[in-house]
Amino acid sequence: MNLLAHGVGSRTDLPIPLGLALYGAGAAILISFAALLLFWRAPKLGGPGSGRPLPESVQRVADSPAVRRILQALALALSLVVLAAAAAGPPETRLNLAPWALYVTFWVGLVPASLLLGPVWRAVNPLRLLHAVLSLVVRTAPGAGRLPALGLWPASVSLLVFLWFELVYPDRAEPATVAAFLIAYAVAHTALALWFGAGWFAQGDGFEVYSTLVARLSPWGRRDDGRLVLRNPLTNAIATPETPGLAAVVVVLLGSTAFDGITRTVWWQTGPGSANDSFSGTVGLVVSIALVAALYLLGTRLSGRLAGQPLAIQPRRYAATVIPIALGYTIAHYFSLLLLDGQTTWILASNPFGTPGTDLFGTYGNVVDLTAVSPDTIAYVQVGGVIAGHVAGVTLAHERALLSERRARASDQLPLVVVMVLFTIGGLGLLFGF
Amino acid sequence: MSRRILALSLLPLSLVLAGCAGTEAPDAAEPSSAASTPAEGAAGSSAVTTSPPAPAGTALEVQVAGGAVTGDTGRVPVPLGDAVTVTITSDTPDEAHLHGYDVTADLPAGTPAELTFDATIPGVFELELHEAGTVLLTLQVG
Repeated sequence: MNLLAHGVGSRTDLPIPLGLALYGAGAAILISFAALLLFWRAPKLGGPGSGRPLPESVQRVADSPAVRRILQALALALSLVVLAAAAAGPPETRLNLAPWALYVTFWVGLVPASLLLGPVWRAVNPLRLLHAVLSLVVRTAPGAGRLPALGLWPASVSLLVFLWFELVYPDRAEPATVAAFLIAYAVAHTALALWFGAGWFAQGDGFEVYSTLVARLSPWGRRDDGRLVLRNPLTNAIATPETPGLAAVVVVLLGSTAFDGITRTVWWQTGPGSANDSFSGTVGLVVSIALVAALYLLGTRLSGRLAGQPLAIQPRRYAATVIPIALGYTIAHYFSLLLLDGQTTWILASNPFGTPGTDLFGTYGNVVDLTAVSPDTIAYVQVGGVIAGHVAGVTLAHERALLSERRARASDQLPLVVVMVLFTIGGLGLLFGF
Repeated sequence: MSRRILALSLLPLSLVLAGCAGTEAPDAAEPSSAASTPAEGAAGSSAVTTSPPAPAGTALEVQVAGGAVTGDTGRVPVPLGDAVTVTITSDTPDEAHLHGYDVTADLPAGTPAELTFDATIPGVFELELHEAGTVLLTLQVG
């Protein structure tokens, strides 16, 4: 058994110093109100048609179906190795490649990969290849007409299921759990894609939607005419379509990361979560997400009411502005996990089935260096991530307000900014451990 | 108009705060290290008065009976570099495992067993019973 607050891992971060937490909170508040008062008064970021086009040759390679199929085949092969290791490798979590590969290298690593390279999982998603092969046999997609109306709601459910497994399910780190999860995920999403068509992956596959959302803050975008462009990540983010269910996805991501932070506090471990079982975890996860959702709905709707705009579209309109805040939380909570415990994946990959004498890459004898990143560096990255996410979020919200109404008053945006400040101070509080 | 005045008055305030953050950032780390002075400590030798104090060592003790853990449970702060000894007494045979450090101790039923290590890795680590899965204590090194 290797059960920590997170799915796998041998350590968690030290609480950040009180001074750093307070300076961070002060900076967040100050920047927020300075933003409202001093920032631009007309939309400043480029529209969906802006950006510096990449060379045609780059676009041809990136969009080439053949290149994508090859990448998907590679990803499928790697997934099968992980699945085989989960099913037939050593039964101890500490020696089995699969939990580390899934929870640390894949799930956490998807964030920097998408931030640097764009929506990578969309390009390499192995389930897209499986679906393409199966659709040669099953040619019709009976549910395709209903898919657009679902928006991103299916992805929020898909992510919630994964996050429950990752953060709550007591046997989450067992290789057998990982094997069962991977098979169930592949079967469910391939079947749903056969029913709804290949468009399902972009709307229902939680991993792909997560990668695409994070990539909204990468410098790589797609202009409205389909051309690949290099542009300001904030321009990329503001061009996010106002899809139904986007707010739900963002709230699930933010709420679950907050829950992971809560489970690391002494308060949780000795109080509500002391039983360390499914029930307390499920309640904690649901309450965290509900709290984030309630605050978000309140902030966006109040802002809409002050501006005299229809209330129903407000949560969707501002959902993209919460992506950087969720990303800041994610960096703060998982950056050290990827760099420290993430080393385990590369050690175990050298001998995925634990056979004596096997050492494919000569790394099997390596020992995880838990001192590779100093606690000071971790604390600064944590606070820096949360504050940078907050600044980007407030900036985007201001821009969205100006786009919705050219003469938008700064005071109308106050409720949403206050909610964002609460998210940020809450996030810093969790890092401090209250 | 009043908005602009407010904005102008905020500007120097932000500079002042930014200045504070810059100069005091190193000190900000102090409260945590001060707070993490061990509750236990000073095993044996006389009081150390010289400025670079040698690690005094931390002695912790936990008992497990009927699945319940008593003694130094919960979050236990330990200074970085300290020599730590955890004495564990369990009413059932089990194995204690400190994550991260990967040190283990066999626990015969009813006999105290010692787990000793130097706290050289900063972070928060769980000391756990392998069979029962019970967390005995959480070590906070740093």
